[in-house]
Amino acid sequence: MQPERNDDLDFVDFAWQRRDDVLQLGIEHAALVALSVTISAALGVLLGVLSYRSPTARSAVIAVTGAFLTIPSFALFVLLLGIVGLGTAPVVIALTMYGLLPVVRNTITGLLQVDPAIVESALGMGLSRRQRLLRIELPLAWPVVLTGIRVSTVVLVGIAAIGAIVNGPGYGELIFTGLARVGSPVAVNLVLAGTLGVVVVAVVFDAAFTLLGKLTTSKGLR
Amino acid sequence: MTASTDWATVRPPGTDPARGGRWWPWIGRLALPVVLALVLLALWLYVGSQELDSIEARSLTAETIGETAARHVALTAVSTVLVVALAVPLGILLTRPFTRRYRGLLLTVANIGQAVPTIGLLALLAVAFFFLGFWAAVVGLVAYAVLPVLRNTMVGLEGVDPAVLEAGKGMGLSGRQVLRRLELPLAVPVILAGIRTALVINVGTATLAAYINGGGLGTLIVAGFSTNRFLVSLTGAVLTAVLALLVDHLAGIAEDVLKPKGL
Repeated sequence: MQPERNDDLDFVDFAWQRRDDVLQLGIEHAALVALSVTISAALGVLLGVLSYRSPTARSAVIAVTGAFLTIPSFALFVLLLGIVGLGTAPVVIALTMYGLLPVVRNTITGLLQVDPAIVESALGMGLSRRQRLLRIELPLAWPVVLTGIRVSTVVLVGIAAIGAIVNGPGYGELIFTGLARVGSPVAVNLVLAGTLGVVVVAVVFDAAFTLLGKLTTSKGLR
Repeated sequence: MTASTDWATVRPPGTDPARGGRWWPWIGRLALPVVLALVLLALWLYVGSQELDSIEARSLTAETIGETAARHVALTAVSTVLVVALAVPLGILLTRPFTRRYRGLLLTVANIGQAVPTIGLLALLAVAFFFLGFWAAVVGLVAYAVLPVLRNTMVGLEGVDPAVLEAGKGMGLSGRQVLRRLELPLAVPVILAGIRTALVINVGTATLAAYINGGGLGTLIVAGFSTNRFLVSLTGAVLTAVLALLVDHLAGIAEDVLKPKGL
């Protein structure tokens, strides 16, 4: 019991001592994910909207974005490193690629689920194709789309930690620094701080999505 | 992949790549291996055209590459088998009526656990418990890939039409027989999809095993970084990506073949 308690105290002391650093990395991590997921969501919804009416197009889009997600992140970061160099750029590109599939898939699912009778009546009211999409179909599909974006976000928060190998920002730095010091007492604290930091970022994003869901879902659907 | 909802595990209708049309299954099944073979050929020609120094030459022998690739496959295979052996029975157990009260709690814990980054968990095994090597990597891999199989087993079993179960009972089947002859076969497609997800996660995570001396193709990437030889890292990365895409592709074909007929 005793040594465990000491370890806990050590970690709290450690985190408190480095609170500025830990907070800074947290903000970096969250900003990185927010940027990537925003690009992913925009591209993903666009791809979903463009492809959902044709079975061949949606199969192709889902196959390609699915293949992105299949490529191990460690490998993709290295491949992108060869193209765009070190830093934030390869991480943002990789995360954007990884975030596409859940958004595309849910956009397609959501749009296909819209009751044809509703679209029919919108057509009867004289709404154009664009108006039907923007005012009827997308709002009805939105909760499903948002779930996709949320899924992407959770995935990206975790993958972002690996971005540290190409000098990406965020908590991965603590984890990899700790790994490089296996055996020294500070290693456990570094890895623990990085890992818990990532979990906290994920929980914060999740809470934000619950709020966003309430704010952005059409009143009739709540 | 780490969704807490069914949306992530259920394909939208008509988007199964293998069912897009009459010509899709065959062109689809052959196209990817051909593309991957071309990528490997391009890599081989590129590496061959470079002037290799002694470090690069030593890291890129056919023997080293074969060994790391075999180790990568072993890591993936062992952990996927363990995941299936753990998660399917657990999923069955958690859909029986007597475990209902623990279900929500367990899934909540599992979903929070999923937010722990892979590299963080592997690193903790190494720095906190000094647990390194092949089996440490397997522990990390299994911990990550359990959830999709568990979730899909539960979703698959719960998705079986209660009327079918009722009919089975009406025919005089016992609870165990209903499970074995009706529920499980009907849930197989969803469970297989979960296993495929787990397999893909494992191929990817196995890359990180290099950081805790677990071996695998990640070793090449890490070796390239630590010796400042990008060519070695690049080779590791391309091989990892090709392996992952190939494994997913084969799993997709297996999924189609293993699906019970008549569903």
